[in-house]
Amino acid sequence: MKDKKNTPTFTDSFQIWCHKWGRIGTLIALIYMIALPFIVLTYFDSVPSLGEVINVGTISILMIYIPVGFSEALSYTPILGGSSYLTFITGNIMNLKLPCAVNAMKIAKKEQNTPEGEAIASVGVAVCSIMTVIILAIAALLSTWISPVFELPEVKTASEYLIPALFGSLTLGLFSSTNSGKKIVKNGIMGVVPVLVIVSVISIAIRILTGGSLFGMIGFLILAMLPIAIISSRIMWKKGIIKVVDKES
Amino acid sequence: MENITTMKDIINSPLLLTLVIIGLLYIVAFSLVYLKKAYTHCLELGITKEDIHKVIKSSIVFSIVPSLSIVVGLFVLIAVMGTVWSWWRLSVIGSLSYETMIASSVSSAIGFDSTAAMLDQATGRQFGVVMILMSIGMLSGFLILIPFGKKLSSSVSKSEHSSSWKYVLSGTFMLCLFSVYIPVLLFGDTIQAAVMLTGLVIALALGVLAKNPKLKWVGEFIMAFSMIGGMLSSLFWTKIF
Repeated sequence: MKDKKNTPTFTDSFQIWCHKWGRIGTLIALIYMIALPFIVLTYFDSVPSLGEVINVGTISILMIYIPVGFSEALSYTPILGGSSYLTFITGNIMNLKLPCAVNAMKIAKKEQNTPEGEAIASVGVAVCSIMTVIILAIAALLSTWISPVFELPEVKTASEYLIPALFGSLTLGLFSSTNSGKKIVKNGIMGVVPVLVIVSVISIAIRILTGGSLFGMIGFLILAMLPIAIISSRIMWKKGIIKVVDKES
Repeated sequence: MENITTMKDIINSPLLLTLVIIGLLYIVAFSLVYLKKAYTHCLELGITKEDIHKVIKSSIVFSIVPSLSIVVGLFVLIAVMGTVWSWWRLSVIGSLSYETMIASSVSSAIGFDSTAAMLDQATGRQFGVVMILMSIGMLSGFLILIPFGKKLSSSVSKSEHSSSWKYVLSGTFMLCLFSVYIPVLLFGDTIQAAVMLTGLVIALALGVLAKNPKLKWVGEFIMAFSMIGGMLSSLFWTKIF
């Protein structure tokens, strides 16, 4: 059984639609997002020079976020499939859209990277995107009245811990979603053991040496660890440590 | 004296508000088209209406709490750059962490001591730098997604005839994400670790509860409830540690 390595082979009509119209829709949104500040600034005769935008001070900020963008695209697209386009254009991926997609697949008992999984994940992501736009619109319109509630220290503290709370609740979804298809990957976790060990050692070392956390560096870490995870999974799959078996057996 | 445009002129302008509303309407329309297409296709693939409605209900509940955290970020940003621009930035592409971080670092990058000083004294051109930086900062992901999204998705897309490696690779991305996040959360910060473990324990407990036929509905909200529980537990853990 050989893969056709160079030609994407989608036969599902929704996946084909996503990769055509989802991509075009995303491109339009993207052009609008870049054009928006320029239209406003041109109207106010306030377009800054290139030197004002790109200089030593600002480039250091951009350098933090450019790898984060690469990391998100490389690691989330293979998980989200056709729903990636909508997910990326509405943003807040790790703290909202990706868990929502996983939740949707878990409830419908569908597996990621299958036509069913991608369609149901897209339902989840679309509902979630609309909800966020509505909630933010209400919040912006009522900002004068409701801001005191959102400025309470308790609300701010709870919000800071969204990601750890999400990972606690997501862990269960991770295991059930890998078991819902016709085939099961056995010992899949072995492929990422090197990543677990490396990140654990670095995390502990940083904690002991500086008392700090690598939380702000997650984007870089994922980018660096992804090739290690793929290579190590491939080696273990070839050696028969990671196996794919039919669910019945 | 020449009349110079200030940052306040821009952030309070009807033009910005109009363009933001047009952009948001586009995003909602795009989401609705996606929803309709996906919904119809789910039915074609044999997923029952009941299951799709369960997913919609659960997605609504699931979205509320993270969206409220984004609202907290919205109010942080509003204090720095006004309602309209903050509203726009958090509704598209941007992520909560990126936007709040860039808001604080950009004011110093363009020469102000604080965000309050920037709001008070920045000219239109200086705010223009902020607007452009915020708009282009997170675009790098699209340089990969738009040209290579199809290839990345198809590389792990599974079918009856896929090689077994595709099944392994498909799971590797998610596992890698967890293998990076979990040790960082577990060993980097005691409160983060406690919150994560609380979320996990609540999810496990709800999973057991959902096995009871009378409480089957709980199964649809395990992730939403355990996430809320985990976040609320942070109030307790911050007092202990």
